[in-house]
Amino acid sequence: MSIFDELQQAIIDGKAPVAKEVTERALGEGVRPAELFPNAIVPAMNEVGRRMRDCEFFIPEVLIAARAARAATDILRPLLVGDEEVRSAGTVVCGTVKGDLHDIGKNIVAMMLESAGFQIVDLGVDVPPEKVVAAVREHGANVVAMSALLTTTMVNMKAVIDALAAAGLRDQVKVMVGGAPVTESWAQSIGADGYGKDASAAVETARSLVAAA
Amino acid sequence: MTEKKTHRIIVRPTGVELRAPAGASLRDLLFEQGVEFPCGGQGRCRGCRVRVLEGTAEANAAQRERLSPQELEDGWRLACQCSLGDDLVVELRQWDAAILVDDTPFHFEPRPGLGVAVDLGTTTLVAQLVNLSTGKVLAVRTALNAQARYGADIMSRLQFAAAEDGRATLERLIRRQIASLITHLMVSAKVSGDEIRDVVLVGNTVMHHLFCGIDVEPLSHYPFESNEIGLQTFRASELEWNLNKASTVRFLPCLGGFVGSDILAGILATKLAKSLENVGLMDLGTNGEIVVGNQSKLYCASTAAGPAFEGARISMGMRAATGAICQVQVEDERLVCQVLGNVAPQGVCGSGLVDAVAAGLEIEAIQSSGRLGNGAKEWTLAEPVVLTQNDIRELQLAKAAIAAGSRILLERLGTSLQDLKMLYLAGAFGNYIRRSSARRIGLIDLPIDKVTPAGNTALLGAKLALFSLDGEDGSYTELRCRIEHVPLNADQSFQDIFVEELAFPSSTHVRS
Ligand code: B1M
Repeated sequence: MSIFDELQQAIIDGKAPVAKEVTERALGEGVRPAELFPNAIVPAMNEVGRRMRDCEFFIPEVLIAARAARAATDILRPLLVGDEEVRSAGTVVCGTVKGDLHDIGKNIVAMMLESAGFQIVDLGVDVPPEKVVAAVREHGANVVAMSALLTTTMVNMKAVIDALAAAGLRDQVKVMVGGAPVTESWAQSIGADGYGKDASAAVETARSLVAAA
Repeated sequence: MTEKKTHRIIVRPTGVELRAPAGASLRDLLFEQGVEFPCGGQGRCRGCRVRVLEGTAEANAAQRERLSPQELEDGWRLACQCSLGDDLVVELRQWDAAILVDDTPFHFEPRPGLGVAVDLGTTTLVAQLVNLSTGKVLAVRTALNAQARYGADIMSRLQFAAAEDGRATLERLIRRQIASLITHLMVSAKVSGDEIRDVVLVGNTVMHHLFCGIDVEPLSHYPFESNEIGLQTFRASELEWNLNKASTVRFLPCLGGFVGSDILAGILATKLAKSLENVGLMDLGTNGEIVVGNQSKLYCASTAAGPAFEGARISMGMRAATGAICQVQVEDERLVCQVLGNVAPQGVCGSGLVDAVAAGLEIEAIQSSGRLGNGAKEWTLAEPVVLTQNDIRELQLAKAAIAAGSRILLERLGTSLQDLKMLYLAGAFGNYIRRSSARRIGLIDLPIDKVTPAGNTALLGAKLALFSLDGEDGSYTELRCRIEHVPLNADQSFQDIFVEELAFPSSTHVRS
């Protein structure tokens, strides 16, 4: 088993100490930090996303896998600063809409995006549209990702889109939405650019939105 | 195929007449008439006994064990154990002295006239007409909440209410429907509206607001708290109900958040607020309400379990109706499914789902992570009924929400589940769920003798309230001061506990 495969397996199995040890060993053997992302961490989280979509993994398995991935990325991130070769896949401002406190799904989506190489600005839950606007300005975000779990708070996604338009930012940023009650057609009806049924779909959507921009 | 013979059943004292095919179970027929089955219809208690006044119903071994030869001779039977083989006239024992169901007699001040108690549920309504001088129930009516066509759960009801005229439409619908239920009660008991003195309604906070004409906007978003949750009193004439001019209609006060007067009524019915030791009450519905505490302090919460226990969002899920797998057991490593109405299985209801998963864990068809063994996508219970991997995930979400909610409330109280003296289960699902299965899947980790199915405690509490209106006006000020609503969404530890509770307990662990 190559050292990349080893790290990939440790992440899928949710073994954070192993992920940490393998990462350190890889660096010791002269592997460049930037290589570990495309060869181990991203494919591992893709596999985790696939397993979640196919109901093989459930929330606990996904969360511990994400924790293992973080054990590796925590070591790697500081080493990547200033590395010309690694370009962020894009900056995503994410959060759960105003009035809504459900964040388990949003957190999973954020973790998957992060492992896929996106910079994440997580605004948390009960996020008012103004806060999204401010964050998009401050971080020059490429994508806004909003989550809602209640039929009564879904409408606040539209409020975010309207606020971005009012602030003159709508053309600079793509908006994607998701969460259990949200559907593709709802996303279209409020003028969102993308929708994700689950966390792995969210990653694909974010990628294609950034590519299209 | 021979045409199945149908039989006629006349139910006393309500006078309801039913028709059903030979072989139909009395349990299914009477459940729809509001009869409760305290042991879940397993012939373990005597709660559902009925007296056969005309016709014959065979007594099986379970009945001969629970009923004395004299009782059998006098026509007493356990409804849950009887199947239909004759035209019958049966008398329901349950409503005879429903006020006095438990050992400590309820001291009520007999008063002249009649009263009506209504449990206004999001899905179903139950109304009873009560003789206030004897405590006797004269008639019972049930119906599906007419508002349900505008959204099955409270959130969709709230969403509809937010649209123009939405709230007014819902208010009009429910007020009319209850008026018509009351009219039906009067007709079947042959009484006039003039004799009705008091009507007491209970329901969750959304039902309370929609009936009383209170703005539901504050309930539709964070923090989900309304300021107008108190007792609401109406003159019958104001509601254009055809009752005695002096009669009063009361909607009992709510407890906070979505926890409504149905739970307040449940506290009255189970005497939670009088207990010296720590006790609890759980209503395992979509909103999963929980109360724990003792005579000096009670904590309550609602837990957003979702509709899995009602069979919704389960691929072959259905209500507990004919054709539903309601029980699953393992015999010689094989699954044995019991189907309501003794017909071919069509789907699975909440109690069947819980049983099935418990059985699956037992025979290792399901792993403790919730994963189906061998990576299968589905698991056959009884052709053509299957459980999919996703169905199990839905149940995990629901049970984790309840288990996490109770853990947080018990922590507030400074105790643990194992130290509760008794846990009462309210509602139909609580009546049907097998307690050992609830324990096996980690929903309620208590030995079965510490869990009591308590029936429709909302209705019982509403009925009790009819008798205490004189001293109390129905606002229960003092009692409500002792009950604290805990908003789980504000609890920092919720997510961690919830995620921890998603898995099933790994193997049978006997703790007592
Ligand atoms: C931007 O792009 C994207 C793309 C994809 C995206 C995306 C964004 N966001 C998500 N995705 C997608 O990817 C994720 C991974 O695959 C998926 O995310 P999900 O979030 O869908 O899935 C998660 C991984 C797992 N799912 C969940 O985490 C939700 C589970 C259930 C049980 C649930 C929970 C846990 C909670 N709840 Co709440 N809760 C319920 C849920 C019932 C159920 N059985 O589903 C639901 C959602 N809740 C509900 C309700 C009503 C409420 N809850 C409330 C509270 C809570 C808790 C705090 C107790 C807790 C939340 C804890 C937390 N930190 O998140 C209240 C409101 C709180 C608030 N202000 O938001 C309260 C109002 C009830 C109350 N009694 O107070 C219901 C909504 C009904 C409706 N029609 O709107 C509900 C369906 C349960 C029910 N009663 O029927 C995809 O949707």
